[in-house]
Parts: sequence; C-alpha cells; structure tokens
Amino acid sequence: MDVRRHITIQRVDPATTGNGTPAEKAPDPELGTGLIPKERYTSSEFMKLEWNHIWSKVWLLGGRSDDIPEPGDYICTDIGTESVLIVRQKDQSIRAFHNVCLHRGNRLRPEGIGSVEQFQCMYHHWTYGLDGKIEHIPDLASFPQGCPPAGRILPLPCGEWGSFVWFSLNPDVEPLLDFLDPIPQHLAPYHFDRMKWVRDITVEWDCNWKASVDAFNESYHVQGIHPQLLWYLDDVNLQIDCYERHNRYLIPFASISPRVALPSIIPSPIEHIMRKAGMDPAEYEGRMTDIRKDVQAFMRANGPKRGRDYSELNDDQLTDDYHYMIFPNVTLNTHADDLMLFRQRPHPTDPDKMFYDIWIFELLDEGEEPPRRPKHQLFKHGDKSIGLVLDQDAFNLPNVQKGMHSSAFEGLWLGEQELRIRHFHKVVDDYLAKGDVA
Amino acid sequence: MDLGLAGKKAIIVGGARGIGFATAEVLAREGCDVAITARGEDSVKDAVAALKRYDTKVVGGAVNVRKEGEYKDWLAKAVDELDGCDILVPITSAGGGAGSEKYWHNAFEVDVLGPVRAVEAVMPGMVERQSGSIVLIATTSAGEAMGGPQAYNAMKASLVTWGKQLALAHGKDGIRVNTVSPGPIEFDGGNWEMIKATMEKFYTATLRQQPMGRFGRPDEIARAIAFLASPAASWCNGSHLVVDGGFTNRTHF
Repeated sequence: MDVRRHITIQRVDPATTGNGTPAEKAPDPELGTGLIPKERYTSSEFMKLEWNHIWSKVWLLGGRSDDIPEPGDYICTDIGTESVLIVRQKDQSIRAFHNVCLHRGNRLRPEGIGSVEQFQCMYHHWTYGLDGKIEHIPDLASFPQGCPPAGRILPLPCGEWGSFVWFSLNPDVEPLLDFLDPIPQHLAPYHFDRMKWVRDITVEWDCNWKASVDAFNESYHVQGIHPQLLWYLDDVNLQIDCYERHNRYLIPFASISPRVALPSIIPSPIEHIMRKAGMDPAEYEGRMTDIRKDVQAFMRANGPKRGRDYSELNDDQLTDDYHYMIFPNVTLNTHADDLMLFRQRPHPTDPDKMFYDIWIFELLDEGEEPPRRPKHQLFKHGDKSIGLVLDQDAFNLPNVQKGMHSSAFEGLWLGEQELRIRHFHKVVDDYLAKGDVA
Repeated sequence: MDLGLAGKKAIIVGGARGIGFATAEVLAREGCDVAITARGEDSVKDAVAALKRYDTKVVGGAVNVRKEGEYKDWLAKAVDELDGCDILVPITSAGGGAGSEKYWHNAFEVDVLGPVRAVEAVMPGMVERQSGSIVLIATTSAGEAMGGPQAYNAMKASLVTWGKQLALAHGKDGIRVNTVSPGPIEFDGGNWEMIKATMEKFYTATLRQQPMGRFGRPDEIARAIAFLASPAASWCNGSHLVVDGGFTNRTHF
C-alpha cells in the first residue's frame, strides 16, 4: 500500500457489542482474481438476464414508511419497465400491487407519494380500492365479457423493515427478513425510524446501475477522485465483511489517511465533525490521531443531553461509517446521527443509463422542529450539484461507462480493496445460476 | 560569499517540518550545531536523524510550547547541550482559525509567548557574549488582510512590532533581531497540500495571485532566514523582510 504512516486503528472489541451491531470480521470469501467481464455492464442481453433472475425475483426497496402513515397514503415507485403501488390500508398494514389499469393499461398514478380514497384511472374512470380490487367500472353492462376475472390488479409481496417499505415482483419470494438477513440485526441499533427526511433526489446517470453500486463498494478510489477525504477518513484501514448476499465495510472517520502526512492544524473536514458533535476544535488539546476516539467519548457523554440516544451503538459507530450494501441495489452510509442511502435502479431499456436515488435522513435534537419533508427532485446528470463528493463520483461514472465499451477493455481487474465488488458479482452469479427464467 | 555560520549554535523552535526544518537544514549544512523541537516525538526523531548527515551536533526533543514549564526546561537544556546559543529562530505557530475565542488564547500562547519565552531563555547568554542573532517569523497575512478576521494574523503582526523593539533595545549588546514574513509555502505533507485537497477554491484563488505562478518552497524562506541569522547580515537589524515571490501588493517606500 502506498502509505506514509502506519496506523493501528483502535476498534471496539467484538466481544463487547452485546445485542448491538456485530463488529466481528467475517472470513473473507475465496473469490479468486478473475476478470469481471465488461459485458455485464454494457450488453442488453445481460440486462435481460438481470431482469429475469434478479429484479423480478428479489426484494426491492420501495420507500419510507413515514411517507405513508395514514390509510390511503401510497408510494408509487418504478423498477425497470414495471411500476408498483404500495398502499397503507385501513388496518395499518401495507399492500402492494402493479400500477396499471386492467382496462387499457394506463398507469394509475405517476411516480411519487400521495394520498387517495381510491385509485381511479384518469382515462375511463375505472376505479380500484386501496387493496387493488376493482370497485367500479363505468358502463359495466357494455362489457359482454364482464369484469376482468380476478376482479383485482395483481397483488405483490410487500413488507416493512427498518422504517422502510419493501416489495417484490416475485409472488414466491422468501420472507422479507430471510432475504435481508443479517442486515436487520446489524442495523436495528441505529433506529432509522427516529431520523427525518432531509434530501430526496433522483439523478439520471449515464452509466450502468452496477457501475454506481461498485463506486460505493470500495474505498480504493478515495485517493483517486476524492483527495479531500484523505483528511477526513482512513481509506486504508477498513474492515470488509461479506455475508451471504449482502456486505459491508467499516471506515474510520475523523481520521487522517495514512496516505498523507499529519498536518500541523486540524483539517477543516474533521473540524466539521467535531463541531457537529458539539466540540470546539479550538479547545482541542489532544493529538491529531486521537481525535476519533475523543469525538466518540464526547458524543457518548453529551449525546443524551441533546436527546440523542446512542445507547445501542458501539463507540466506533459514533464516528465511523458502517457502510452496508443490501443486494442488489441499496447502499447505506450509516452514522449515529444520519443515514445517507443510495438506491440504484436500472434504466428500463438502456444498459448505459440508470437512476440514482439519494435519500438522506437525520436525527434531530430533542425539541428540534422537524424539517418539512423535502420535495423529490429529479434531474439529469450534471444539471445540478449533489454535493462535492458525490459530484466527483458523478463526474467520473459516465466516462467509466463509455470506457467499458472500448475494444481494448475486457473487464474489471479487481484488487483486494475491491473485494465487495467481487462479492457482489458472485451474488449476481448465484442468482443467474438459479436458472429460473421468467 | 561566506555567511560565517560555521561553528555557530542555533535553536529552532518548530523545526521538524516545513520552513523550520528547512532552516535547521540550511544552518546545519553551513556548519551550525542545531537544537530543534516540535510537538510530535516521532517527527522530531525523524528530523534529528535527517539533520545529522551534515556532521554537526544535532539535538532535539518533543515539547508542547503551550506548557510553560516543559518548554522553558527544554530551552534551558538546549542552551546547555549546545553550550550556548548564537542563533534563535522561533517559528512555531498554532495556525489559523475563527469562530471561537479560544483561537486567540492558542495564538497568543504559541505564536507570541513561544518566541517571547525562547528569547528570554537565550538573551542572557547573548548579552554576556555581546553577540547573537534572532530571527522572528511573522507572515504576509500580518501586513495584508488575508483569510478573514482572526487571531493568527493579528498575533503574528505583534511579532513585527516586538522584533523592532528588541532590535533597538539590544543593539548595544551586539544582538541583532530581524523578522521574516513568508508568503504561502507549499511542501510535501504541508498544510497547503491539505488546503489544496480540502479547500480547492481557496487554494487556486491564492495560487492565482502568485506573480510567479506557484507557491514558495520552505528552502526559499530558509535561505533568507539563514542570511539574516548569519554574520554576513551584520548591518541588518530591526528589519522586516517579506519573502513571498512578490505575492503581497504593498509597495515599501
């Protein structure tokens, strides 16, 4: 490794985490050193395989539970060529069904959140209940064949976990918690339900959805395209854990990368972390290399005074990024005070395009006025800034996608720091191998 | 030109990196025995090891300048180990910062009291020998309003004033006191390297103002310091030398 200093990161003892997030290092899977063929990112054929074996088979993140608190509240979300309605029922349960009118195929609602008494198609006013059952067809007697036989729109499996709603296009999908395992146990201590929406953005990116997933599954690129983060986090000393289909890495924050020399003044990004925790960097007397642990101790001591309950989190979780990836397309940067979630969705037809959803949630101080839920913004790559770090990623990815089409490029040449990418492709392979073509 | 530095004994406070280390290096290369100090034990060790290649006496120790007792003890020990002190360059700084009153205390304790205590430690010996040279290090940020209102600039500015006072008071003792104000200096592992990555706009805006299209290097300041510190600068006293590649605007008539 090209480092200037050798650092031993102090981590919590996994034996002490109790019922909290497990901190053990998972054994690294033996995944070899082979090339990941580029066609996975560029070909329409592979895109079809993905649809048949993955998108139409697995559980998918639909939205946030607190967006649909009342009966009739719904989330309409698209995946590929499909569109789904997830609706809060009168008994507080949720139901999901395809967002389509059985009459002429019109979509019942546009993407987004809303609230209805019933779903009425704009075209001929066919009307469906909150459960997707047909309630009214104007001039029903003029249809000699009668009402469509099922009397309802095809229902879909759905469920709630972690303050989020999930759905699947696969009627035979396994139970949600089985699919998510072991993530629920890992992330329950964060209590995402206590956090409030602060950003809700979708950007159409000119790259394959997996190029985006990959970009967040390794820290090797920090020294390449995010040089400023070298004075913010330790991109070298991280712990990678691969599970059956999901994975994570633990990145120490409030640390200076061993790739750079220790400066004589506290880097401004780390000062920001200290201020956010309630510390005054000017008062800090300790060593630059002790800031991470000192921020942890400060938050532990002072969090409760602000009404922030960190009791189920270990010390490292107070500063570090416990960075999870839920297969196939959810990236979670989890922190004690906030969650930065990315949902990566394929374009319906073009392997060179994708939808990148940024959802950010923050914990509030006790008595702090909750911010108004931000309006969803949708724009194309490069039209607006999404913050310096993500802009750096966004700037890079279209060139990666274009480059992958080069005749001189065969596939991804991955190193050990990119183990999560290799693991992700292994899980993709596992799904493809199931041979369950729709 | 012979600077006449061979055999002189120099103390550099804040000598493990950047301008301080470069100064220690120029002085050692010219034949001075040097004592250096900085906060980090490892960095002092590395710097001492690097300076030893010039075959003069090199001593060093880690000290927190803000801890009065520890600092004064080290200064006394350094004078003792070098068997006197001919040259003093106190360069240590708490750096910039705004938004907390604490920054004023930090800058006062490190940027002002650091040099004050060092001067007090070496002055009696210099007076006794009727010879000595002190170079204080201010900044171009003292003469021009840069970086927004903050303690760093104002506290560094006080050194220019105090340096003149010292020069006038101790001319009779054969002691010369001069001040050097460096412009922005970039080096591997330095703070401007960090600023380049973490505050890119500020970095490029500052770079654009450099007439020579680049920042200064530590050795370019060190050579100016070494000259003022040396007997070759025997008629320089109470001067304030801006070494900034032409960065600052003010014309000194």
